[in-house]
Amino acid sequence: MTARVQTWHERVSWKSIALYACSFVVACYLLAPFLWLVLTSFMTEAEARSVPPHWIPERPTASNYAAFVNPSPELRMVGSRAIEETPRALLNSAVVSLSTALVNLFIATFAAYSFARLNFRGGRLLLMAYLASRMVPGIAIIIPFYILMRKLQLLDTYLALILSYSTFTLPFTIWMLKDYFRTIPRDLEDAARVDRCGWFGMMWRVFLPISAPGLIAAAVFAFMFSWNEFLFALFLTSTIQSKTIPIVVANFATDLDVQFTFMAAAGVLAVIPPLALALVFQRLIVQGLAAGSVKG
Amino acid sequence: MRIVPYAARPGLVTSYLRQLRQRSLTLSDNLFAYVLNLPALVVVLALIAYPIGYSFWLSLHRYNLKRPDLYRFVGIENYREILTDRVFLNSLKVSVIFSLLSVSLILVLSLTFALLLNETFLGRGVMRSLVLLPWAIPGVVNGMMWSWIFNAKIGALNGLLYSLGLIDAYRQWLSSPTSALLAAVFAHVWNMVPFSVIILLAGLASIPGELYDAARVDRCGVFQRFMHVTLPWLMHPLLIVLILQTMNAFRTFDTIYVLTGGGPGEATNVIALQTVRTVLDFTDFGQGNAYAYVIMLITLIISIVYVRLLYKRGSFET
Repeated sequence: MTARVQTWHERVSWKSIALYACSFVVACYLLAPFLWLVLTSFMTEAEARSVPPHWIPERPTASNYAAFVNPSPELRMVGSRAIEETPRALLNSAVVSLSTALVNLFIATFAAYSFARLNFRGGRLLLMAYLASRMVPGIAIIIPFYILMRKLQLLDTYLALILSYSTFTLPFTIWMLKDYFRTIPRDLEDAARVDRCGWFGMMWRVFLPISAPGLIAAAVFAFMFSWNEFLFALFLTSTIQSKTIPIVVANFATDLDVQFTFMAAAGVLAVIPPLALALVFQRLIVQGLAAGSVKG
Repeated sequence: MRIVPYAARPGLVTSYLRQLRQRSLTLSDNLFAYVLNLPALVVVLALIAYPIGYSFWLSLHRYNLKRPDLYRFVGIENYREILTDRVFLNSLKVSVIFSLLSVSLILVLSLTFALLLNETFLGRGVMRSLVLLPWAIPGVVNGMMWSWIFNAKIGALNGLLYSLGLIDAYRQWLSSPTSALLAAVFAHVWNMVPFSVIILLAGLASIPGELYDAARVDRCGVFQRFMHVTLPWLMHPLLIVLILQTMNAFRTFDTIYVLTGGGPGEATNVIALQTVRTVLDFTDFGQGNAYAYVIMLITLIISIVYVRLLYKRGSFET
């Protein structure tokens, strides 16, 4: 396009006005519901229940958040179980999600390497099998999974959750890493071979460090999946020993006489880790999502 | 070529050894690959394939956890029962309506958003980050958030519409079958739109700019450019969005569990919710597995269509 001098009404065209108006509407749509939840979590219960609703808290208070750390005696009396359980549930979620991410990377790296570098019989078929297992809906296998965990006496443990989440995220991780590994030049491996590194040495010292962005993206996806997962947690957990944060939030929501501001605060806490990851690793996530699905 | 004794040329020995090692490496490529795949295969076989088989086996049994004494093989009895069961047929209907509404709304919204975010304007980067927000929110929190927005007494929607003068009295959104279903669709769509926007944006980015220049030279209007350049190039990502979102909608669970719990009555009782109820509330594992299998079959059909369509378009890279 040739650059030419623009008059003012060409620059501030109807098109750009429409563009900004539309983006404003879209931004509101994306942001408003969650923003309201955040604002509510800083209100007192009385203010949150006022009619017509207050949009901005008049006297913002962090007492709802403080209650999780140190519930007041009256709260203890009411026995709001969900409030007491929130900190531990956050911890459970963190442990389960981190472990899932690590287990996932560990197992998937080997498999993904084989698809990226080795030309082997049945490879294509195996890859399709992984893809197929990615399509299996969780609800379809939760019952036998539950029975299996009961037999192994793993109900209400971290291990049951980590096992199930790893299984579910593994196929996607393998596909993602396979694509990433293929972008890494072979020369580096050959150089490492010439230097008499064994395969493990080569992977550890050369290959994996270069693949760090891909590995991080895969780990972030596995973490977020595990953090947000609800169905399996509903079946596999029963006490605060292993309850994850979605379970506690759901307890809040289905409990009739709970105060809404606590619920909002718990909800915000539950959103922070995945949201922070999404924003920090935005580029990696967008690439991963696009590649993972556009290429099949 | 003259044969030189190896001992006479030490360098040759090492090179020969290296060759040997490399050959043995290539020979065992197959073996090595399967060794590398072993852990993943064990996990997938033990925790996906085995449960699928076991699930089918259980679906052929009368099996109530509270009455283990009644456990017996009943063949396809469970399937016959649920296929004539009013509750099951209703949940299937609800799921189909829910999926149709959600998927069409998602398609329209995500295409609009993607086209918008593909334009160049100030703040586009911020908007692109903002798109990720709903995606990062766990389904349970999403359900809770919307249940309060739709709350009849103190909800934001009532407050907003009332203060704008669009309604003259507060409505009970979650108490009427139709509006409760629409509310569930809305909440689900909000959560799912970002994923589709990202896929469509990637698709838009892959359209060569020359095509638009050519269209401009041919004096194509905005609409014609969209029809003849954008849309054909977007067919593939749109197809993916369509299929993945259909699968997502069909198995949706957590948002609805928290938002409406399937109510009022059974108006939002989607099939996944009904499955969980059958298992957790009625501890009927036999019938629950039959439900699970029906969901799996439907998802399987959708994924077969998915893979076939992608194969046909030759864009399936492995």
